[in-house]
Amino acid sequence: MEVDLSKITLRPFKLEDADDFLLFAGDDQVTNYLRWQTLSSKQEALDHIKDVCIPHPWRRSICIDNCSIGFISIFPFSGEEDRFKANVGYGVAVKYWGHGIATKALKMAVPQFFADFPDVVRLEAFIDAQNLGSQRVVEKTGFQKEGMLRKYAYMKGKLRDMFIYSFLSTDLPANP
Amino acid sequence: MEVTSVVQLDQTKAKDECLNLYLRPLQVSDVDDFMVWASDEKVTRFCTWEPYTNKEDGLNYIKNTVVPHPWFRAICVDDRPVGAISVSANSGNDKCRGELGYVLASKYWGKGIVTRAVKMVVDTIFVEWPHLERLEALVDVENVGSQRVLEKAGFQREGVLRKYFIVKGRSRDMVMFSLLSTDYQS
Repeated sequence: MEVDLSKITLRPFKLEDADDFLLFAGDDQVTNYLRWQTLSSKQEALDHIKDVCIPHPWRRSICIDNCSIGFISIFPFSGEEDRFKANVGYGVAVKYWGHGIATKALKMAVPQFFADFPDVVRLEAFIDAQNLGSQRVVEKTGFQKEGMLRKYAYMKGKLRDMFIYSFLSTDLPANP
Repeated sequence: MEVTSVVQLDQTKAKDECLNLYLRPLQVSDVDDFMVWASDEKVTRFCTWEPYTNKEDGLNYIKNTVVPHPWFRAICVDDRPVGAISVSANSGNDKCRGELGYVLASKYWGKGIVTRAVKMVVDTIFVEWPHLERLEALVDVENVGSQRVLEKAGFQREGVLRKYFIVKGRSRDMVMFSLLSTDYQS
């Protein structure tokens, strides 16, 4: 399958995306390193879009030809000391892995997010030490690896080592 | 009153000083001793909070934050609180992790007191909290003294987190340290 990366777009989720959403959110391979429970029905997909995706401060559908094949979420923390930081997560349908789609989408998302949230100075991503594909995505996007956090958190019931990566607003290329 | 179950004792000689050092809960009646370190801007330099200026605020802090805290102890030297050390708790998927914090009156700096207090916490916290796998601490990159405390106590430096906190209006880089229950050998 050929993928033309110039056809990748980001937009907010709509209820009409439910079937496409279920294709990736209902797949254990995609949710393996996410805190989401794998979805198992169209109703769950509709509920998730309505209750989580739409009210989310910044979640975008990754689209090809306006069809949802994945998501990017950037979640600012709340609280006086933390609201200048945000947490990054993403997932792409397995059928579309291996084409650089997540990297392309993340490269598009990062400057858009900083423009939408000018108070945020630090994006961070916690990536499972075994999740090599996702480590490559953030590295190619320009995130900096800061270290490995040993036994940092439980993920799907197992205690995980995680790499912490960051992208600062000052890491954005200067405008010409 | 049963006191021994909550008191950690350490009466080792430290270099040329013989210090009677122990940890115990901090109480409202300790407020005057609390104010000694809490009002000192040398002490609060790397803290997120400004020095305390009145006893009322000190009393409120002890009542509202210290007393209900999951794990908070006064560091006592010669039977008086000269500082504090605490471990925060998390819930759910983050329950394996606790964050260590400490503060010491400046008059007592340089004697290895906090290093000993940290070792006493490490000796007990993994036993008191069997679900705890990881004790972590975040230290300002410029706070070299505090980094040395953790290194001497056996913590591992994991990396520098850039602009991790905004402290007193400025973004700060922080060094992340951790000690795992599996690192710890009694």
